[in-house]
Amino acid sequence: MSTGLLAKCRAALDRGTDYVRLYGVFVKNCLSAGMEYRFNFWMGIAVEIAFLCAKALYILIVYQTDLHIGKLTPDHILLFIGTYTMMTGLYMGLFYVNFIRLQQYIRDGTLDLLMTKPVSLQFLVSLRYVDIGLPVPNVVAGAMMIAVGWHRSGLPLNGNIAGFAALLLAALAVTYGIMLLPALLAFRFVQTGAVTEIAHSIWDANNMPLDIFPQWLQRIGVYIIPVFLISNYAPKFVLNELAMGDIIWAVAAPVLLFVLVRWCWKRAVRSYSSAGS
Amino acid sequence: MSAITVRDLSKTFAYYRKQSGLRHSLRNLFHREQLYRHAVANISFDIGQGEAVGFIGPNGAGKTTTLKMLSGILHPSAGEARVLGYVPWERRREFKRRFAIVMGQKSQLWWDLPANESIYLNKCIYGIDEREYRMTLDELAEMLDVKHLLGVQVRRLSLGERMKMEIIAALIHRPKLLFLDEPTLGLDFAAQQNVRQFLKAYKEEKQATILLTSHYMRDIEHVCGRALVIHGGQIAYDGKLSRMSESFGRRKRMKVRFAAFIPPEELHELVRLLAVVRTHDGLTAELEVSADEVKPLARLLIDHDLVEDWTVEEVPVEEVIERLYKAKFGNEGEGDDGEAPGTRQRHAQEG
Repeated sequence: MSTGLLAKCRAALDRGTDYVRLYGVFVKNCLSAGMEYRFNFWMGIAVEIAFLCAKALYILIVYQTDLHIGKLTPDHILLFIGTYTMMTGLYMGLFYVNFIRLQQYIRDGTLDLLMTKPVSLQFLVSLRYVDIGLPVPNVVAGAMMIAVGWHRSGLPLNGNIAGFAALLLAALAVTYGIMLLPALLAFRFVQTGAVTEIAHSIWDANNMPLDIFPQWLQRIGVYIIPVFLISNYAPKFVLNELAMGDIIWAVAAPVLLFVLVRWCWKRAVRSYSSAGS
Repeated sequence: MSAITVRDLSKTFAYYRKQSGLRHSLRNLFHREQLYRHAVANISFDIGQGEAVGFIGPNGAGKTTTLKMLSGILHPSAGEARVLGYVPWERRREFKRRFAIVMGQKSQLWWDLPANESIYLNKCIYGIDEREYRMTLDELAEMLDVKHLLGVQVRRLSLGERMKMEIIAALIHRPKLLFLDEPTLGLDFAAQQNVRQFLKAYKEEKQATILLTSHYMRDIEHVCGRALVIHGGQIAYDGKLSRMSESFGRRKRMKVRFAAFIPPEELHELVRLLAVVRTHDGLTAELEVSADEVKPLARLLIDHDLVEDWTVEEVPVEEVIERLYKAKFGNEGEGDDGEAPGTRQRHAQEG
């Protein structure tokens, strides 16, 4: 019995390793494809650096306005904004570039060939492209804001960092689920630009701590559409504002969301009618 | 033993029709009349292991839809199919490892990268051992004569070269079953011939089962021994390709331009024993004649000093298919409104 379980675990681990390796090939291909166009590649980096400088102005704004939200000082708020900025960068670079292509795959039938590959179609469609340049200014600016906020708030550099990083990973998984769900509507309606816009508007609600919203909205944003988990829970953890129940929810939500996404994905793919050829 | 077994397989698509103009677009926003198209209707056939079958039919006949169902891309509306022992639309990983599909109009190559990068990606997807990958890549690239192009950016390749790369990418895991949907579409004569020869060699070497759709009869004649003719979603002919060619392939069309006006009754009387007059307008005519009778007919027309110019052509495949279909189903499948047979209008609640 235990041998069978062990074999299953080993097979799952092998498969996981294969997927990680495959993801590495995706990243390599995207990077190589980007570098094929030298002018665009260097210009892209220059533009991203300019954006990085613009993002740095956020820090000035927070301090010049001396913004306080409840018990949160400008240093704390910077921690929240930094997390939001970093997550936006990761979402744009890792997920958005794929989710936006889904409607095109469905409209022109590109999905047909992807479907015949012996790997998870969801993996292939939702993680095939990585934009290396797009997330750089957001991730770097976000990391800078987090570092400044952390330091000025006098937070200790101990196990908190591991907790903060783990919650960021959970937030990344939540981001994947929340933002993929509306994209799946493309299987039914093909063009889903309007829904994507709504999803992005909801996403933007994260650019300030959730404390600015009324209680009922906070509950919706945490438990129904858990968008507030993305950029609030990691800073709240280091500020000791998360109860044990919140931490359990932060771990459970991505898992539940992933199960929901898998279920929706399977149903959506089943109804796929391809494009004429 | 059957590699593919199909029983009463059907696929119905829902669609809607819109007349041109902004007014209709506006109306369409609020109400759409749902229509259903029976792309494939109760087809059944078996394909043995190692057999190469040409899937022939006009546009919209249901060829690609059938291929998509057999490769697991589409779920059927009804019916059963087993491909290599698997139900294709269950999309099992082991099943996907054992076949390949090439679609002439769709690409799996990364446009901005050399083809070898896309092929390497497939190596990782299929989990092919490095040594086996190198061997297969060398072998396929040599057979298709594109070894020197593997490192060239895909967007810089010609259509023919790109199709060859698509074929290599699709076959890198050495599948025993190939679904080929118009693999020579748009290629020039030399490239078509090259692909054809490759497919034949691959089939013979690997004992592969092939289901090939093509608009070019030569592709099918070169690679396949059996033909499945589909029209209006139904199988109109299933048998040896040679028998089909015997029935229809030995008919020729002679298009004649006369030196002077010739009355219809005179032409009919003259060629009556050798040919059938399909069209005639006094100065030009189209005659259908058995391949054996082309020479006597030509001699007859020359002897009477009637001809200024002529051409001799094959009977178009579409027409052959139409005849096969009519021979099997009569005229019952023809739609009143000129749509493809099998298209029926129904209201949504009836569906």
